[in-house]
Amino acid sequence: MSSIKEKFNQISPSEFFYSNRDLAGFSNPTRSLYTAVREFVENALDACDQKGILPDVHLTIKAVDPDKPDPKPYILTVKDNGPGIDAEHIPLAFGTVLYGSKFGLKQARGMFGLGATMAILYGQITTNKPVTVKSSSDAKIQNQFEILLDIQKNKPVIVKHTTKEVTKKGLSVSICLEGDYSKAGNKIRDYVYETSLITPYASITFDDPKGQKFSHPRFVKDIPPPPTIIRPHPHGIDVERIRRMIVESQFEIPTIDDAMIEKVRKDLGLSVKKLSFTSIMEKAKKKWKTLPRQVRVVIALMSFLKMDFEKLNKIRIEDIDMPNKKLFYWDFGDSQSKSVDMDPESQYYKQLTNTVQGEPLTTFLTKRFQRVGPTTALKFASFAKLKPEKRMGTLTNQELVNLSDALQKFDDFMAPDSSCLAPLGAEPLEKGIKKFFNPDFVAVVQRPASAYSGFPFIIEMGIAYGGDIKTGGPHVYRYANRIPLLYDEGSDVVIKVVNDTDWGRYKVKGEPPFIIVSHICSTRIPYKTAGKENVADRQEIERELRLALQFLSRKLSSFMSKRGQAEMAKKRANLYAKYIPMIAEFCTELSGKKKEPNYKKMLETEIASETKKAVKEENEIGNN
Amino acid sequence: MKLATTKKQKESKIKARSKKADDKQKTILEMLKSHGAKIYDDLDNGQFPKFSIPSRSVSNIVYDKKLRQYILGNNAALRSSRNSAQLRSFTQLMWLAFFANRLTNERKSSTLRDVYYSSQAFAVEFEDQSESDNIIVDLEAVTSRAREDFHIFPEERSSIFGDLNIEYTIPGYEGKTMNLANHPDGYSIGPSLTTAELVDTSAEIVIAIEKGGLFTRFVEEQVDKKFKSIIINTGGQAPRSTRTLLKRLHDEMKLPVICLTDGDVYGEHIAMVIKSGSANAAHLRELTVPDAKWVGVWATDIEKYKLPTIPMTESDIKRCYDLQKDPRYQDGIWKKELDVFLRLKRKAELEAFSKYGLTNITDKYLPQKLELAKSL
Repeated sequence: MSSIKEKFNQISPSEFFYSNRDLAGFSNPTRSLYTAVREFVENALDACDQKGILPDVHLTIKAVDPDKPDPKPYILTVKDNGPGIDAEHIPLAFGTVLYGSKFGLKQARGMFGLGATMAILYGQITTNKPVTVKSSSDAKIQNQFEILLDIQKNKPVIVKHTTKEVTKKGLSVSICLEGDYSKAGNKIRDYVYETSLITPYASITFDDPKGQKFSHPRFVKDIPPPPTIIRPHPHGIDVERIRRMIVESQFEIPTIDDAMIEKVRKDLGLSVKKLSFTSIMEKAKKKWKTLPRQVRVVIALMSFLKMDFEKLNKIRIEDIDMPNKKLFYWDFGDSQSKSVDMDPESQYYKQLTNTVQGEPLTTFLTKRFQRVGPTTALKFASFAKLKPEKRMGTLTNQELVNLSDALQKFDDFMAPDSSCLAPLGAEPLEKGIKKFFNPDFVAVVQRPASAYSGFPFIIEMGIAYGGDIKTGGPHVYRYANRIPLLYDEGSDVVIKVVNDTDWGRYKVKGEPPFIIVSHICSTRIPYKTAGKENVADRQEIERELRLALQFLSRKLSSFMSKRGQAEMAKKRANLYAKYIPMIAEFCTELSGKKKEPNYKKMLETEIASETKKAVKEENEIGNN
Repeated sequence: MKLATTKKQKESKIKARSKKADDKQKTILEMLKSHGAKIYDDLDNGQFPKFSIPSRSVSNIVYDKKLRQYILGNNAALRSSRNSAQLRSFTQLMWLAFFANRLTNERKSSTLRDVYYSSQAFAVEFEDQSESDNIIVDLEAVTSRAREDFHIFPEERSSIFGDLNIEYTIPGYEGKTMNLANHPDGYSIGPSLTTAELVDTSAEIVIAIEKGGLFTRFVEEQVDKKFKSIIINTGGQAPRSTRTLLKRLHDEMKLPVICLTDGDVYGEHIAMVIKSGSANAAHLRELTVPDAKWVGVWATDIEKYKLPTIPMTESDIKRCYDLQKDPRYQDGIWKKELDVFLRLKRKAELEAFSKYGLTNITDKYLPQKLELAKSL
């Protein structure tokens, strides 16, 4: 009998994504080319947005060998005028998976810059070529890197690094990847086109492999206000997140070495002079408010040990046992473990408790979450059946789970803060729609912020009719966090809401030339799939979408009825002009008369009056 | 001398008749002219012409017990050429009146289909024939005249046979006479026959029969001679021209009219329409023969004569229930037979008598029914 030994290997994030690349939208050459374009363009736009720079983004796709049939290797380059990346971060940013700068809680197109690394990884495994990154973050020196990814180790391998002088900031990323432009071309062109509609303050150009140039210059000069990074809402977190927040809130007991002692001396404003324990404590008491946390902890420890710096140098703290109020330390001199009692009444005791056991529940709530005040925190504590002063570090696993549950269920938290959202704004949206479609009618609305599961969101919507819009509408343009959503239309909540609408009620009939632009902004878009193409039908989002659409549809309806009246007036004029002379002709013979009746003047007056009505209604449309 | 007198008398008779036809034509033309003049005056006064038309909606169709037929109530609608929704049909109706005027003037006849196509010569467009048919009914409603008066006829499918002398009034045949027993296949009841003068007859009764097959049998068996009758094949539901002719035979020649139909609810109603008209033609009078009698085949005959039957269909039964609500079916044989049909839920065709021999219907059944008709 032989024993089977299973071998467990830890795999790196790179390896994980390598074997699960279709999760991130890299399932085939068509989809991969499209996804790669998206990731780089969105990164470029995000980078500019964050620094308040009007984006200039240049996208180029070139076939390595134009004569080969698809799928074949393409070189994809995206160049922006953003802030660039410091040379020291470039290898890690482009050569490791899960390295990114977008971890804060605010609205951005991408989440962690993950997609870009995935695209690089995909390029490398299909063509074995390195990624080329050119970056200047100071408008003087441009660093140029060629980087390969060591998939097993999740580490960058720098193939080449050069520098040159430049005059502009910006980043250019270029990868070689296997793609199918003949199939992906339509989607990519649509993507660029639709992106420029929702990003009217950006200039985007696209040079495609067939030598065609698509240019979408900016037509709005103001960048919408950037979102602020905010603390999470209690409804939007889970147990794991709470655990991490507790860890963040705790401080380790500082190691008391020469450097630390030197820092304490300096912060207390003590020179090399030798000072007694009592005078150190006195000095500390005076300066307490200005002292950093680490220094306070050292002072607190000293207060119980009753030692000056010289003595402190000869021991090592072993354990701080808060429940038993004992402090254990190793005395180097005596080579043995000793302990002292701690006075729980002392102010230093509280300081240590904070450090070791974390903050009390109420402090944790008010400091770590958005829009939670002391009153709410107390109310919540009683709701969750936890003592308000309960130290976060002392929560058991079960208590953590209960806390997380209670956070979800407590209804008295204020609605999430929406300052972390960056909607485009009604005015730029309207400008965009007007420029793109030259419509006879346009209306836009930005709904007030709302929230689902603790995540704030804002719906922006526009509706337009006539002009350059092709018939067969409504054509729906879906956006989420300024990203156009092009795939998997069928199962999207926006489409659902549009399809549920009875357009006949709004006087929209037949195959109307009209479009709907829907933009959902949120710190977390509830995508149905990892491919980020369709939004799930969350009740709160669906409701807001409905309200927005109803509001706009009513405006459309009044336009349609004005237009209808104008058309009716025109039609009446035409009908009179056509039929009244016929009636005159028939009744002349019928009544046995020779001469036709004298009706021409009456007819002219009527036609003129109907035409005037039509013009009046049309003018009203124009004014709205 | 005597002969000369007769000839003279005959001539003056012909004159009188053609005068009568002329008078009728004149009346129609004058009526059309007065309608046209009203429209003309409106236009001449700088106004949108308008006229009123009796409403033909179901709510305005009522049964008149005195007249024993459906008539239109007092509701009328105003048609205005100012209303853009009505302008097109207004023009169509004006054209139709104009066209009818020409037809009547020139004494030319046309069919419903002709009207539909003729409109195209005047740039008056009709979507389809049913639209033009509808406008024709409008003209009938406005003028209270049947379309035949304007020389517009439906396709012919009914025919007549028997000793009846007629004299044509249509152009090219004026004064020509014809005896309707001269051709054994019968004469189709078309514009020339409908407008002809009825001169004289030896017949004492008119037998309207539902089916062409039986019509031929009746001619073969010389029912016209044996029973001194004029035989008319209605070809199912009697067309208006046939109903007009039946009415004239009754009114002008003083002949009683009896109807012989299949033994089912549709047969019963064919007889009823001859007697009292249809709701569809409620805007017209002069189309009914209130004294007409339905002599068979009755539901009770099915049992009495042990006729071979076929079961009623769902729609037959539904039709029975519908007719039960009709005011004309509330008494007499109409109600009685309808109830029996509903009880039997079976029906018998006229041909069912062939079970007892081909001539059984003319030899046995008909004489019995003619006898019975006297007491109805």
